Amino acid sequence: MENMKTNQEKITSQDINSVSKRWILASQITWNYEKMMAIGYLYSILPVLRKLYKKEEELKAAMKNHVQFFNTTPHMGGFILGIDIATEAEGKNSSKDGVETANGIKTGLMGPFAGVGDTIFGVLIPTICGSIAAYMGQQGNVTGVVIWILVNIAIMAFRYLTVGIGYREGTKLIASAKDKLDALTSAATLLGITVVGALIPTVVRANITATFTTGEVTLAGQDILDQIMPSLVPVLIVAAIYVLLGKKKMTSTKAILIVMGASIIFAAIGFLG
Amino acid sequence: MGIQVWQIMVLTFLAFFFICEGLSTSIFANQPVIIGTITGIVMGDIGTGLAVGATLQLMILGVGTYGGASIPDYVTGAMIGTVFAITSGKGMEFGMGLAVPVGLLMVQLDVLARFSNVFFSKRVEAAIERMDFKGMARNTWLGAFSWGLSRAIPVFLMLIFGQNLVNAITEYMPEWLMSGLSVAGGLLPAVGIAILLRYLPVKNYIAYLLIGFIAAAYLKVPMVGVAIMGVALAIIAFKQEVAKNQNVVVVNQGAVQEGLLDGEYED
Repeated sequence: MENMKTNQEKITSQDINSVSKRWILASQITWNYEKMMAIGYLYSILPVLRKLYKKEEELKAAMKNHVQFFNTTPHMGGFILGIDIATEAEGKNSSKDGVETANGIKTGLMGPFAGVGDTIFGVLIPTICGSIAAYMGQQGNVTGVVIWILVNIAIMAFRYLTVGIGYREGTKLIASAKDKLDALTSAATLLGITVVGALIPTVVRANITATFTTGEVTLAGQDILDQIMPSLVPVLIVAAIYVLLGKKKMTSTKAILIVMGASIIFAAIGFLG
Repeated sequence: MGIQVWQIMVLTFLAFFFICEGLSTSIFANQPVIIGTITGIVMGDIGTGLAVGATLQLMILGVGTYGGASIPDYVTGAMIGTVFAITSGKGMEFGMGLAVPVGLLMVQLDVLARFSNVFFSKRVEAAIERMDFKGMARNTWLGAFSWGLSRAIPVFLMLIFGQNLVNAITEYMPEWLMSGLSVAGGLLPAVGIAILLRYLPVKNYIAYLLIGFIAAAYLKVPMVGVAIMGVALAIIAFKQEVAKNQNVVVVNQGAVQEGLLDGEYED
């Protein structure tokens, strides 16, 4: 005879670790235009679902529920999985409808988490690590590449912990972290912009080969410009592309093609070299 | 210098591996500078791989791939560019000239991979109906083939058939085009920087852009030094902002209490 108590399955740390591993490996592997990360989400949470929902129709309903559209930053999805698991386990034990709440949490959190996550993991870390690795790389030094790989290993270790953090801290995490997340994002942005400022004079190479002749004196264009401001031409080129990108219908790909075309023309007329 | 059969096999396998790795554990993370370096190691010329990868990396700073948008695949571009920069003996600029068009062509295959996975997605849904857990897992993992083959097949074909084409190009490439590509190699990083500046809230942080510029252009501080200085500035700003937020909370609570008191008086 089935006892009410049998429903009260406890989520163990093995379950959480299994979800973490699955999410890291499979979150995007079946990414598609229809459901985006939904298949990865279902695959990740499946061990927990099978534990929570013992009746076949319950389990099927839960699986169908989790195969709905989902998309966020892969690095942040672990938090959402953890919070989701906590909510559904809680709902199961108190015979409330945890599924409904969990759905609200999933759809409510994937946007904001993607906002913070894309900024930090999608833009700022690649900017900072990429700038250093590429700058060193242009000088033939692999140290920057090695540093970046080490940073990525650290990020993966962090991702492994996120499901557990989300599970333990549950929804209160969002409220408590909100202020600090904003401060963290703006501090990281500031760091990124400082590095970009240094990047302009160090990696953009534009050597003016044109010379100006007045009477008997020949002046090298580059020397004149250097006296006004170091790296004046790189600054102007970045500014010009920045303005160009603000134009409607301008894409980064078009900008790249324009720069390549302009480089060939300027080199051919002997202005740059 | 030609390409060996084992190098073609290893690079084809790596093309499959890199895209799947970038989507999961993300240690090599589909970043041109890392992929270029590894390709350089396979080809026995790490310096050229590093140079091609670094220039591509700077070109695409700030071009994120999140949210499901396809962007030019400069990772595959970095592989192909590195290989032919080395085998043609024409160096980094020649590799860049190939990497950009390859990256632009590859974007179509990225779209194809994302479409193909709809098929496996449907099969997972069918497996749910049957309560077939093995089928769900299998079809989830089969998605790796959409991604992997979308990179491995073109890389394989380009490495097999590209050599003759590249030989023809190098033979007939005019001098003005080579020097143009060389100039482009120097200027393209400006595109990446400009894209990034468009994305970041530069207007609010213009002071930090100037600080970074002055440190590098006038004071000649190396990049790592600038990054450390940036960390110092970030720590200061973080502490100030957290403190400010706490003050705002306190002030708000004060205002709410006052409001209540006013209300009581009116009653």
